[in-house]
Amino acid sequence: MNGKLGRILIVEDDPRDVELTLTALEDYKLANEVVVARDGKEALDYLYCRAQFQTRSSDNPAVMLLDLKLPKVDGLEVLKQIRSDEHLKMIPVVVLTSSHEEKDMMRSYQLGVNAYVVKPVDFHDFVNAVKELGVFWAIINEPPPGSMKK
Amino acid sequence: MAPWSLKSRPVSGRILGYGFSVACVAIALGLALVFQRYNFRDVELPLFDLAIALTAWYAGIGPSVLAVALSTVCANYFFVEPVYSFAISGRELPYFFLFIAWAVIVASFAAVRRRIEADLRQARDHLQLEVEQRKQREEEVRKLNRELAKRAVQLEVSNKELESFAYSVSHDLRAPLRHAVGYSELLQKQCASLVDEKAQRFIKTIVEAAKRMGNLIDDLLAFSRIGRAETKKTEVNLEQLAKEVVGEMGQETKGREIAWKIGALPVCYGDRSMLRLVMVNLVSNAMKFTRMRTRAEIEIGCADGSGDEVEVFVRDNGAGFDMEYANQLFGVFQRLHRAEEFEGTGIGLATVQRIIHRHGGKVRGEGAVDQGATFYFSVPKARETKVKAASAP
Repeated sequence: MNGKLGRILIVEDDPRDVELTLTALEDYKLANEVVVARDGKEALDYLYCRAQFQTRSSDNPAVMLLDLKLPKVDGLEVLKQIRSDEHLKMIPVVVLTSSHEEKDMMRSYQLGVNAYVVKPVDFHDFVNAVKELGVFWAIINEPPPGSMKK
Repeated sequence: MAPWSLKSRPVSGRILGYGFSVACVAIALGLALVFQRYNFRDVELPLFDLAIALTAWYAGIGPSVLAVALSTVCANYFFVEPVYSFAISGRELPYFFLFIAWAVIVASFAAVRRRIEADLRQARDHLQLEVEQRKQREEEVRKLNRELAKRAVQLEVSNKELESFAYSVSHDLRAPLRHAVGYSELLQKQCASLVDEKAQRFIKTIVEAAKRMGNLIDDLLAFSRIGRAETKKTEVNLEQLAKEVVGEMGQETKGREIAWKIGALPVCYGDRSMLRLVMVNLVSNAMKFTRMRTRAEIEIGCADGSGDEVEVFVRDNGAGFDMEYANQLFGVFQRLHRAEEFEGTGIGLATVQRIIHRHGGKVRGEGAVDQGATFYFSVPKARETKVKAASAP
Protein backbone atom coordinates (compact mmCIF):
# COMPACT_ATOMS: atom_id res chain seq x y z
CA MET A 1 0.00 0.00 0.00
CA ASN A 2 1.41 3.32 -0.95
CA GLY A 3 -1.38 5.48 0.44
CA LYS A 4 -2.55 6.53 -2.98
CA LEU A 5 -6.13 6.05 -4.01
CA GLY A 6 -6.98 4.47 -7.32
CA ARG A 7 -9.83 5.83 -9.37
CA ILE A 8 -12.92 3.60 -9.54
CA LEU A 9 -15.10 3.58 -12.63
CA ILE A 10 -18.59 2.37 -11.86
CA VAL A 11 -20.69 1.36 -14.86
CA GLU A 12 -24.25 1.07 -13.59
CA ASP A 13 -27.55 2.17 -15.12
CA ASP A 14 -29.73 1.99 -12.03
CA PRO A 15 -29.51 5.24 -10.00
CA ARG A 16 -30.51 3.42 -6.81
CA ASP A 17 -27.71 0.93 -7.22
CA VAL A 18 -25.35 3.83 -7.89
CA GLU A 19 -26.48 5.55 -4.71
CA LEU A 20 -26.20 2.40 -2.61
CA THR A 21 -22.76 1.68 -4.03
CA LEU A 22 -21.58 5.21 -3.36
CA THR A 23 -23.02 5.04 0.16
CA ALA A 24 -21.03 1.89 0.76
CA LEU A 25 -17.86 3.44 -0.63
CA GLU A 26 -18.31 6.62 1.40
CA ASP A 27 -17.91 4.68 4.60
CA TYR A 28 -14.32 4.06 3.58
CA LYS A 29 -13.80 7.50 2.09
CA LEU A 30 -13.41 5.93 -1.29
CA ALA A 31 -16.24 7.83 -2.95
CA ASN A 32 -14.22 10.87 -3.96
CA GLU A 33 -12.35 9.04 -6.65
CA VAL A 34 -15.36 7.52 -8.31
CA VAL A 35 -16.61 8.08 -11.83
CA VAL A 36 -20.03 6.82 -12.75
CA ALA A 37 -20.98 5.85 -16.28
CA ARG A 38 -24.67 5.20 -16.78
CA ASP A 39 -24.45 2.86 -19.75
CA GLY A 40 -21.96 0.89 -21.79
CA LYS A 41 -21.50 3.62 -24.36
CA GLU A 42 -20.69 6.22 -21.70
CA ALA A 43 -18.20 3.82 -20.15
CA LEU A 44 -16.44 3.39 -23.49
CA ASP A 45 -16.57 7.17 -24.05
CA TYR A 46 -14.83 7.62 -20.73
CA LEU A 47 -12.18 5.01 -21.43
CA TYR A 48 -11.48 6.38 -24.91
CA CYS A 49 -11.70 10.05 -23.73
CA ARG A 50 -14.50 10.77 -26.16
CA ALA A 51 -17.57 13.06 -26.05
CA GLN A 52 -17.95 14.70 -22.60
CA PHE A 53 -14.72 13.06 -21.42
CA GLN A 54 -12.54 14.60 -24.11
CA THR A 55 -10.73 16.82 -21.65
CA ARG A 56 -9.91 14.28 -18.97
CA SER A 57 -6.37 13.03 -18.48
CA SER A 58 -5.84 9.84 -20.38
CA ASP A 59 -4.95 7.65 -17.38
CA ASN A 60 -6.92 4.46 -16.95
CA PRO A 61 -9.04 3.83 -13.86
CA ALA A 62 -7.52 1.56 -11.19
CA VAL A 63 -10.57 -0.66 -11.40
CA MET A 64 -13.84 -0.80 -13.21
CA LEU A 65 -17.00 -2.11 -11.52
CA LEU A 66 -19.13 -3.29 -14.41
CA ASP A 67 -22.81 -4.20 -14.43
CA LEU A 68 -23.78 -6.67 -17.17
CA LYS A 69 -27.25 -5.52 -18.09
CA LEU A 70 -26.78 -2.03 -19.46
CA PRO A 71 -28.58 0.15 -22.01
CA LYS A 72 -27.02 0.68 -25.46
CA VAL A 73 -23.84 -1.38 -25.07
CA ASP A 74 -24.11 -4.21 -22.55
CA GLY A 75 -21.47 -5.12 -20.01
CA LEU A 76 -20.09 -8.14 -21.84
CA GLU A 77 -19.63 -6.08 -25.00
CA VAL A 78 -17.81 -3.37 -23.03
CA LEU A 79 -15.58 -6.05 -21.53
CA LYS A 80 -14.91 -7.54 -24.95
CA GLN A 81 -13.89 -4.16 -26.39
CA ILE A 82 -11.64 -3.35 -23.47
CA ARG A 83 -9.88 -6.69 -23.66
CA SER A 84 -9.20 -6.31 -27.35
CA ASP A 85 -7.72 -2.83 -26.99
CA GLU A 86 -3.97 -2.63 -26.48
CA HIS A 87 -4.18 0.46 -24.25
CA LEU A 88 -7.17 -0.65 -22.14
CA LYS A 89 -6.77 -4.38 -21.81
CA MET A 90 -4.85 -4.26 -18.54
CA ILE A 91 -7.57 -2.42 -16.61
CA PRO A 92 -8.80 -4.66 -13.80
CA VAL A 93 -12.50 -5.32 -14.36
CA VAL A 94 -14.89 -6.58 -11.70
CA VAL A 95 -18.30 -7.64 -12.86
CA LEU A 96 -20.85 -6.55 -10.25
CA THR A 97 -24.20 -7.90 -11.29
CA SER A 98 -27.53 -9.29 -10.13
CA SER A 99 -27.08 -12.31 -12.34
CA HIS A 100 -26.43 -15.66 -10.76
CA GLU A 101 -26.56 -17.29 -14.18
CA GLU A 102 -23.71 -19.63 -15.00
CA LYS A 103 -23.89 -18.44 -18.61
CA ASP A 104 -22.97 -14.88 -17.65
CA MET A 105 -20.24 -16.08 -15.35
CA MET A 106 -18.69 -18.31 -18.00
CA ARG A 107 -18.85 -15.62 -20.62
CA SER A 108 -17.28 -13.02 -18.31
CA TYR A 109 -14.38 -15.25 -17.35
CA GLN A 110 -13.85 -16.24 -20.96
CA LEU A 111 -13.52 -12.57 -21.76
CA GLY A 112 -10.90 -12.21 -19.02
CA VAL A 113 -12.72 -10.60 -16.15
CA ASN A 114 -10.68 -10.22 -12.93
CA ALA A 115 -13.54 -10.94 -10.55
CA TYR A 116 -17.22 -11.76 -10.68
CA VAL A 117 -19.39 -10.57 -7.81
CA VAL A 118 -23.13 -11.19 -7.49
CA LYS A 119 -24.82 -8.26 -5.78
CA PRO A 120 -26.19 -9.62 -2.51
CA VAL A 121 -29.84 -8.89 -1.74
CA ASP A 122 -29.00 -8.23 1.88
CA PHE A 123 -27.95 -4.61 2.30
CA HIS A 124 -25.20 -5.34 4.82
CA ASP A 125 -23.77 -8.00 2.57
CA PHE A 126 -23.99 -5.61 -0.35
CA VAL A 127 -22.24 -2.80 1.54
CA ASN A 128 -19.55 -5.17 2.72
CA ALA A 129 -19.01 -6.56 -0.75
CA VAL A 130 -18.68 -3.12 -2.32
CA LYS A 131 -16.43 -1.91 0.50
CA GLU A 132 -14.13 -4.85 0.20
CA LEU A 133 -13.98 -4.49 -3.55
CA GLY A 134 -13.19 -0.79 -3.16
CA VAL A 135 -10.54 -1.34 -0.53
CA PHE A 136 -8.90 -4.16 -2.42
CA TRP A 137 -8.85 -2.66 -5.89
CA ALA A 138 -8.41 1.03 -5.03
CA ILE A 139 -5.98 0.66 -2.12
CA ILE A 140 -4.42 -2.76 -1.68
CA ASN A 141 -3.97 -3.81 -5.28
CA GLU A 142 -1.14 -2.31 -7.32
CA PRO A 143 -2.82 -1.33 -10.57
CA PRO A 144 -1.02 -1.73 -13.87
CA PRO A 145 1.21 1.18 -14.94
CA GLY A 146 -0.67 4.06 -16.50
CA SER A 147 -3.53 3.99 -13.99
CA MET A 148 -4.87 7.04 -12.30
CA LYS A 149 -3.75 7.54 -8.70
CA LYS A 150 -4.09 10.38 -6.28
CA MET B 1 -48.05 -54.99 -75.55
CA ALA B 2 -46.77 -58.52 -75.27
CA PRO B 3 -49.57 -61.12 -75.48
CA TRP B 4 -47.95 -63.05 -72.60
CA SER B 5 -48.07 -60.17 -70.27
CA LEU B 6 -50.35 -60.70 -67.31
CA LYS B 7 -51.65 -57.24 -67.77
CA SER B 8 -52.87 -57.75 -71.30
CA ARG B 9 -56.30 -59.15 -71.84
CA PRO B 10 -56.90 -58.41 -75.52
CA VAL B 11 -60.24 -60.17 -75.59
CA SER B 12 -62.31 -59.13 -72.69
CA GLY B 13 -66.02 -58.90 -72.26
CA ARG B 14 -68.50 -61.69 -72.86
CA ILE B 15 -69.81 -60.85 -76.31
CA LEU B 16 -66.39 -59.93 -77.56
CA GLY B 17 -65.07 -63.30 -76.29
CA TYR B 18 -67.74 -65.31 -78.09
CA GLY B 19 -67.36 -63.15 -81.19
CA PHE B 20 -63.62 -63.80 -81.11
CA SER B 21 -64.36 -67.52 -80.83
CA VAL B 22 -66.70 -67.47 -83.86
CA ALA B 23 -64.25 -65.36 -85.87
CA CYS B 24 -61.33 -67.69 -85.10
CA VAL B 25 -63.32 -70.74 -86.16
CA ALA B 26 -64.57 -68.94 -89.27
CA ILE B 27 -61.03 -67.94 -90.27
CA ALA B 28 -59.82 -71.51 -89.65
CA LEU B 29 -62.68 -72.83 -91.77
CA GLY B 30 -61.94 -70.34 -94.53
CA LEU B 31 -58.24 -71.22 -94.55
CA ALA B 32 -59.06 -74.95 -94.50
CA LEU B 33 -61.41 -74.54 -97.46
CA VAL B 34 -58.71 -72.59 -99.33
CA PHE B 35 -56.13 -75.27 -98.61
CA GLN B 36 -58.58 -77.96 -99.71
CA ARG B 37 -59.15 -76.09 -102.94
CA TYR B 38 -55.45 -76.30 -103.72
CA ASN B 39 -55.41 -79.98 -102.72
CA PHE B 40 -53.50 -79.73 -99.45
CA ARG B 41 -54.80 -82.60 -97.40
CA ASP B 42 -55.31 -83.00 -93.64
CA VAL B 43 -54.56 -79.41 -92.56
CA GLU B 44 -58.12 -78.61 -91.53
CA LEU B 45 -58.07 -80.24 -88.09
CA PRO B 46 -54.78 -78.62 -86.95
CA LEU B 47 -56.23 -75.32 -88.17
CA PHE B 48 -59.34 -75.78 -86.04
CA ASP B 49 -57.13 -76.79 -83.13
CA LEU B 50 -55.22 -73.57 -83.58
CA ALA B 51 -58.48 -71.62 -83.58
CA ILE B 52 -59.57 -73.38 -80.36
CA ALA B 53 -56.20 -72.82 -78.75
CA LEU B 54 -56.24 -69.12 -79.64
CA THR B 55 -59.78 -68.75 -78.35
CA ALA B 56 -58.95 -70.58 -75.13
CA TRP B 57 -55.84 -68.50 -74.68
CA TYR B 58 -57.37 -65.14 -75.19
CA ALA B 59 -61.11 -65.43 -74.51
CA GLY B 60 -61.54 -67.95 -71.68
CA ILE B 61 -63.47 -71.14 -71.07
CA GLY B 62 -66.94 -70.24 -72.40
CA PRO B 63 -65.78 -69.05 -75.84
CA SER B 64 -63.36 -72.00 -76.13
CA VAL B 65 -66.22 -74.48 -75.51
CA LEU B 66 -68.11 -72.66 -78.25
CA ALA B 67 -65.03 -72.88 -80.49
CA VAL B 68 -64.75 -76.63 -79.84
CA ALA B 69 -68.45 -77.10 -80.69
CA LEU B 70 -68.27 -74.94 -83.83
CA SER B 71 -65.04 -76.57 -85.00
CA THR B 72 -66.55 -80.00 -84.47
CA VAL B 73 -69.62 -79.09 -86.46
CA CYS B 74 -67.62 -77.40 -89.27
CA ALA B 75 -65.04 -80.16 -89.50
CA ASN B 76 -67.75 -82.74 -89.54
CA TYR B 77 -69.77 -80.92 -92.18
CA PHE B 78 -67.03 -79.81 -94.53
CA PHE B 79 -64.19 -82.26 -94.17
CA VAL B 80 -65.31 -85.56 -92.65
CA GLU B 81 -66.66 -88.19 -95.05
CA PRO B 82 -69.37 -88.04 -96.12
CA VAL B 83 -68.75 -84.40 -96.89
CA TYR B 84 -71.59 -81.80 -96.62
CA SER B 85 -73.45 -83.86 -94.09
CA PHE B 86 -73.32 -84.19 -90.30
CA ALA B 87 -73.00 -87.96 -90.53
CA ILE B 88 -69.65 -89.54 -89.67
CA SER B 89 -68.36 -92.65 -91.35
CA GLY B 90 -67.00 -95.43 -89.14
CA ARG B 91 -63.50 -95.01 -90.56
CA GLU B 92 -63.33 -91.32 -89.61
CA LEU B 93 -64.86 -91.71 -86.15
CA PRO B 94 -61.65 -92.40 -84.03
CA TYR B 95 -59.83 -89.69 -85.88
CA PHE B 96 -62.68 -87.30 -85.23
CA PHE B 97 -62.83 -88.18 -81.48
CA LEU B 98 -59.09 -87.73 -81.24
CA PHE B 99 -59.58 -84.25 -82.65
CA ILE B 100 -62.26 -83.43 -80.05
CA ALA B 101 -60.13 -84.85 -77.21
CA TRP B 102 -57.17 -82.81 -78.39
CA ALA B 103 -59.32 -79.72 -78.57
CA VAL B 104 -60.68 -80.29 -75.06
CA ILE B 105 -57.14 -80.80 -73.67
CA VAL B 106 -55.92 -77.58 -75.29
CA ALA B 107 -58.96 -75.74 -74.01
CA SER B 108 -58.53 -77.08 -70.47
CA PHE B 109 -54.80 -76.27 -70.43
CA ALA B 110 -55.69 -72.78 -71.47
CA ALA B 111 -58.33 -72.65 -68.78
CA VAL B 112 -55.81 -73.76 -66.16
CA ARG B 113 -53.42 -71.14 -67.41
CA ARG B 114 -56.16 -68.56 -67.17
CA ARG B 115 -56.94 -69.61 -63.63
CA ILE B 116 -53.27 -69.29 -62.69
CA GLU B 117 -53.18 -65.97 -64.39
CA ALA B 118 -56.22 -64.86 -62.46
CA ASP B 119 -54.60 -66.01 -59.21
CA LEU B 120 -51.43 -64.19 -60.08
CA ARG B 121 -53.38 -61.12 -60.93
CA GLN B 122 -55.19 -61.32 -57.63
CA ALA B 123 -51.88 -61.76 -55.83
CA ARG B 124 -50.49 -58.82 -57.71
CA ASP B 125 -53.51 -56.70 -56.86
CA HIS B 126 -53.15 -57.75 -53.28
CA LEU B 127 -49.48 -56.83 -53.32
CA GLN B 128 -50.26 -53.55 -54.96
CA LEU B 129 -52.80 -52.82 -52.28
CA GLU B 130 -50.28 -53.67 -49.64
CA VAL B 131 -47.68 -51.47 -51.27
CA GLU B 132 -50.20 -48.67 -51.35
CA GLN B 133 -51.11 -49.23 -47.74
CA ARG B 134 -47.47 -49.29 -46.82
CA LYS B 135 -46.93 -46.07 -48.72
CA GLN B 136 -49.83 -44.58 -46.86
CA ARG B 137 -48.42 -45.77 -43.56
CA GLU B 138 -45.01 -44.44 -44.47
CA GLU B 139 -46.62 -41.15 -45.28
CA GLU B 140 -48.35 -41.23 -41.92
CA VAL B 141 -45.07 -41.99 -40.18
CA ARG B 142 -43.42 -39.17 -42.06
CA LYS B 143 -46.25 -36.87 -41.08
CA LEU B 144 -45.92 -37.89 -37.46
CA ASN B 145 -42.20 -37.37 -37.70
CA ARG B 146 -42.71 -33.93 -39.11
CA GLU B 147 -45.12 -33.15 -36.30
CA LEU B 148 -42.63 -34.48 -33.79
CA ALA B 149 -39.90 -32.32 -35.23
CA LYS B 150 -42.25 -29.36 -35.03
CA ARG B 151 -43.01 -30.21 -31.41
CA ALA B 152 -39.31 -30.48 -30.68
CA VAL B 153 -38.77 -27.04 -32.12
CA GLN B 154 -41.68 -25.68 -30.10
CA LEU B 155 -40.29 -27.33 -27.01
CA GLU B 156 -36.92 -25.84 -27.66
CA VAL B 157 -38.49 -22.42 -28.13
CA SER B 158 -40.44 -22.67 -24.90
CA ASN B 159 -37.32 -23.93 -23.17
CA LYS B 160 -35.45 -20.90 -24.45
CA GLU B 161 -38.30 -18.70 -23.27
CA LEU B 162 -38.16 -20.32 -19.90
CA GLU B 163 -34.45 -19.76 -19.78
CA SER B 164 -34.76 -16.10 -20.70
CA PHE B 165 -37.55 -15.82 -18.16
CA ALA B 166 -35.28 -17.23 -15.48
CA TYR B 167 -32.55 -14.94 -16.71
CA SER B 168 -34.66 -11.82 -16.45
CA VAL B 169 -35.95 -12.92 -13.06
CA SER B 170 -32.38 -13.31 -11.97
CA HIS B 171 -31.40 -9.92 -13.35
CA ASP B 172 -34.38 -7.67 -12.96
CA LEU B 173 -36.42 -9.00 -10.06
CA ARG B 174 -33.58 -9.02 -7.60
CA ALA B 175 -32.60 -5.39 -8.15
CA PRO B 176 -35.80 -3.79 -6.75
CA LEU B 177 -35.60 -6.13 -3.79
CA ARG B 178 -32.07 -5.09 -3.11
CA HIS B 179 -33.18 -1.48 -3.24
CA ALA B 180 -36.12 -2.10 -0.92
CA VAL B 181 -33.80 -3.73 1.62
CA GLY B 182 -31.04 -1.18 1.12
CA TYR B 183 -33.17 1.91 1.44
CA SER B 184 -35.16 0.50 4.36
CA GLU B 185 -31.93 -0.08 6.21
CA LEU B 186 -30.66 3.38 5.31
CA LEU B 187 -33.97 4.76 6.58
CA GLN B 188 -33.59 2.78 9.78
CA LYS B 189 -30.13 4.17 10.30
CA GLN B 190 -31.13 7.70 9.38
CA CYS B 191 -34.10 8.02 11.69
CA ALA B 192 -33.33 5.54 14.44
CA SER B 193 -33.62 8.26 17.07
CA LEU B 194 -36.64 9.93 15.52
CA VAL B 195 -39.19 7.14 15.24
CA ASP B 196 -40.76 5.00 17.94
CA GLU B 197 -40.41 1.32 18.51
CA LYS B 198 -43.47 0.47 16.41
CA ALA B 199 -42.09 2.25 13.37
CA GLN B 200 -38.76 0.50 13.90
CA ARG B 201 -40.59 -2.81 13.90
CA PHE B 202 -42.37 -1.89 10.66
CA ILE B 203 -39.11 -1.10 8.95
CA LYS B 204 -37.63 -4.34 10.25
CA THR B 205 -40.59 -6.26 8.85
CA ILE B 206 -40.13 -4.63 5.43
CA VAL B 207 -36.48 -5.65 5.43
CA GLU B 208 -37.23 -9.19 6.51
CA ALA B 209 -40.00 -9.63 3.96
CA ALA B 210 -37.80 -8.38 1.14
CA LYS B 211 -34.96 -10.67 2.23
CA ARG B 212 -37.34 -13.60 2.33
CA MET B 213 -38.49 -12.79 -1.16
CA GLY B 214 -34.86 -12.69 -2.23
CA ASN B 215 -34.35 -16.16 -0.78
CA LEU B 216 -37.47 -17.45 -2.51
CA ILE B 217 -36.29 -16.09 -5.85
CA ASP B 218 -32.85 -17.60 -5.38
CA ASP B 219 -34.34 -20.97 -4.45
CA LEU B 220 -36.72 -20.90 -7.38
CA LEU B 221 -33.92 -20.05 -9.78
CA ALA B 222 -31.76 -22.85 -8.42
CA PHE B 223 -34.72 -25.18 -8.73
CA SER B 224 -35.35 -24.23 -12.35
CA ARG B 225 -31.65 -24.65 -13.10
CA ILE B 226 -31.86 -28.28 -12.00
CA GLY B 227 -34.56 -28.86 -14.59
CA ARG B 228 -32.45 -27.26 -17.33
CA ALA B 229 -28.98 -28.52 -16.44
CA GLU B 230 -27.60 -31.50 -18.30
CA THR B 231 -27.04 -34.61 -16.26
CA LYS B 232 -23.62 -36.21 -16.41
CA LYS B 233 -24.22 -39.78 -15.40
CA THR B 234 -21.52 -41.98 -13.92
CA GLU B 235 -21.32 -44.65 -11.25
CA VAL B 236 -21.87 -43.10 -7.88
CA ASN B 237 -20.90 -44.81 -4.66
CA LEU B 238 -23.82 -43.78 -2.47
CA GLU B 239 -22.22 -44.91 0.76
CA GLN B 240 -19.16 -42.77 0.13
CA LEU B 241 -21.41 -39.88 -0.86
CA ALA B 242 -23.54 -40.22 2.28
CA LYS B 243 -20.46 -40.29 4.51
CA GLU B 244 -19.03 -37.26 2.76
CA VAL B 245 -22.26 -35.28 3.18
CA VAL B 246 -22.69 -36.30 6.81
CA GLY B 247 -19.06 -35.44 7.50
CA GLU B 248 -19.55 -31.95 6.11
CA MET B 249 -22.96 -31.24 7.54
CA GLY B 250 -22.04 -32.73 10.89
CA GLN B 251 -19.68 -29.84 11.50
CA GLU B 252 -22.63 -27.46 11.61
CA THR B 253 -24.19 -29.32 14.50
CA LYS B 254 -21.57 -28.95 17.14
CA GLY B 255 -23.07 -29.12 20.59
CA ARG B 256 -25.87 -31.39 19.47
CA GLU B 257 -25.98 -35.07 20.13
CA ILE B 258 -26.73 -36.87 16.90
CA ALA B 259 -26.43 -40.63 16.54
CA TRP B 260 -25.58 -41.20 12.89
CA LYS B 261 -26.08 -44.62 11.39
CA ILE B 262 -25.00 -45.17 7.82
CA GLY B 263 -25.78 -48.64 6.48
CA ALA B 264 -24.25 -50.37 3.49
CA LEU B 265 -25.29 -48.51 0.36
CA PRO B 266 -24.80 -49.79 -3.17
CA VAL B 267 -23.25 -48.13 -6.18
CA CYS B 268 -25.82 -46.51 -8.41
CA TYR B 269 -25.81 -44.86 -11.79
CA GLY B 270 -26.48 -41.12 -11.86
CA ASP B 271 -25.22 -37.55 -11.75
CA ARG B 272 -22.97 -37.28 -8.72
CA SER B 273 -23.40 -33.57 -7.99
CA MET B 274 -27.18 -33.83 -8.31
CA LEU B 275 -27.37 -36.91 -6.11
CA ARG B 276 -25.19 -35.11 -3.64
CA LEU B 277 -27.74 -32.29 -3.57
CA VAL B 278 -30.44 -34.88 -2.84
CA MET B 279 -28.41 -36.25 0.06
CA VAL B 280 -27.61 -32.76 1.37
CA ASN B 281 -31.28 -31.77 1.29
CA LEU B 282 -32.48 -34.92 3.03
CA VAL B 283 -29.74 -34.89 5.65
CA SER B 284 -30.16 -31.19 6.42
CA ASN B 285 -33.91 -31.72 6.73
CA ALA B 286 -33.30 -34.58 9.13
CA MET B 287 -30.98 -32.38 11.15
CA LYS B 288 -33.41 -29.47 11.14
CA PHE B 289 -36.44 -31.43 12.20
CA THR B 290 -34.64 -33.26 15.02
CA ARG B 291 -33.43 -30.03 16.57
CA MET B 292 -35.69 -30.32 19.61
CA ARG B 293 -34.52 -33.84 20.46
CA THR B 294 -31.90 -34.19 23.14
CA ARG B 295 -30.56 -37.16 21.25
CA ALA B 296 -31.25 -37.11 17.54
CA GLU B 297 -31.10 -40.35 15.58
CA ILE B 298 -30.53 -40.16 11.86
CA GLU B 299 -30.16 -43.29 9.79
CA ILE B 300 -29.22 -43.59 6.14
CA GLY B 301 -29.77 -47.02 4.67
CA CYS B 302 -30.82 -49.10 1.73
CA ALA B 303 -34.36 -50.40 1.84
CA ASP B 304 -34.49 -52.67 -1.15
CA GLY B 305 -31.52 -53.96 -3.10
CA SER B 306 -33.39 -56.12 -5.58
CA GLY B 307 -34.44 -55.30 -9.12
CA ASP B 308 -32.79 -52.69 -11.30
CA GLU B 309 -33.20 -49.96 -8.74
CA VAL B 310 -31.79 -49.13 -5.36
CA GLU B 311 -34.02 -47.54 -2.79
CA VAL B 312 -32.24 -45.43 -0.25
CA PHE B 313 -33.85 -43.91 2.82
CA VAL B 314 -33.01 -41.20 5.32
CA ARG B 315 -34.79 -41.72 8.63
CA ASP B 316 -34.96 -39.41 11.62
CA ASN B 317 -36.69 -39.31 14.98
CA GLY B 318 -37.70 -35.69 14.63
CA ALA B 319 -40.93 -33.73 14.33
CA GLY B 320 -42.38 -35.96 11.62
CA PHE B 321 -45.53 -35.06 9.76
CA ASP B 322 -49.14 -36.05 9.33
CA MET B 323 -49.46 -38.67 6.58
CA GLU B 324 -52.73 -37.01 5.57
CA TYR B 325 -50.68 -34.22 3.99
CA ALA B 326 -47.99 -36.48 2.54
CA ASN B 327 -49.04 -35.52 -1.00
CA GLN B 328 -47.93 -31.94 -0.32
CA LEU B 329 -44.44 -32.89 0.82
CA PHE B 330 -42.71 -32.55 -2.53
CA GLY B 331 -44.50 -29.45 -3.84
CA VAL B 332 -42.60 -26.24 -4.55
CA PHE B 333 -42.78 -23.90 -1.56
CA GLN B 334 -45.05 -26.33 0.26
CA ARG B 335 -44.44 -26.53 3.96
CA LEU B 336 -46.03 -28.68 6.62
CA HIS B 337 -44.52 -26.73 9.52
CA ARG B 338 -44.85 -23.14 10.57
CA ALA B 339 -42.00 -20.82 9.72
CA GLU B 340 -41.52 -20.00 13.42
CA GLU B 341 -40.98 -23.67 14.22
CA PHE B 342 -38.66 -24.56 11.39
CA GLU B 343 -37.17 -22.09 8.96
CA GLY B 344 -36.94 -22.72 5.23
CA THR B 345 -38.63 -21.86 1.96
CA GLY B 346 -40.01 -25.29 1.12
CA ILE B 347 -37.92 -25.96 -1.93
CA GLY B 348 -35.70 -28.75 -0.56
CA LEU B 349 -37.96 -31.76 -1.14
CA ALA B 350 -39.19 -30.32 -4.44
CA THR B 351 -35.56 -30.23 -5.54
CA VAL B 352 -35.08 -33.82 -4.34
CA GLN B 353 -38.11 -34.95 -6.30
CA ARG B 354 -37.02 -33.14 -9.43
CA ILE B 355 -33.56 -34.66 -9.37
CA ILE B 356 -34.83 -38.17 -8.69
CA HIS B 357 -37.45 -37.89 -11.43
CA ARG B 358 -34.72 -36.82 -13.82
CA HIS B 359 -32.96 -40.05 -12.87
CA GLY B 360 -36.13 -42.03 -13.61
CA GLY B 361 -36.64 -42.85 -9.93
CA LYS B 362 -39.34 -42.26 -7.34
CA VAL B 363 -39.56 -40.43 -4.05
CA ARG B 364 -41.88 -40.94 -1.10
CA GLY B 365 -42.10 -39.99 2.52
CA GLU B 366 -43.43 -41.80 5.57
CA GLY B 367 -43.93 -40.35 8.95
CA ALA B 368 -46.16 -39.56 11.91
CA VAL B 369 -46.47 -36.40 13.93
CA ASP B 370 -43.73 -36.22 16.55
CA GLN B 371 -42.48 -39.71 15.67
CA GLY B 372 -39.97 -38.94 12.99
CA ALA B 373 -39.99 -39.20 9.23
CA THR B 374 -38.43 -41.43 6.60
CA PHE B 375 -37.77 -40.27 3.07
CA TYR B 376 -37.13 -42.80 0.33
CA PHE B 377 -35.68 -42.27 -3.10
CA SER B 378 -34.91 -44.80 -5.81
CA VAL B 379 -32.25 -44.57 -8.50
CA PRO B 380 -31.06 -47.01 -11.17
CA LYS B 381 -28.49 -49.53 -10.03
CA ALA B 382 -25.08 -49.68 -11.63
CA ARG B 383 -24.59 -53.00 -13.45
CA GLU B 384 -23.06 -55.91 -11.53
CA THR B 385 -19.70 -55.83 -13.28
CA LYS B 386 -19.53 -52.13 -12.77
CA VAL B 387 -20.29 -52.54 -9.08
CA LYS B 388 -17.30 -54.81 -8.72
CA ALA B 389 -15.07 -52.45 -10.64
CA ALA B 390 -16.24 -49.50 -8.62
CA SER B 391 -15.78 -51.18 -5.25
CA ALA B 392 -12.29 -52.37 -6.09
CA PRO B 393 -9.67 -50.29 -4.28
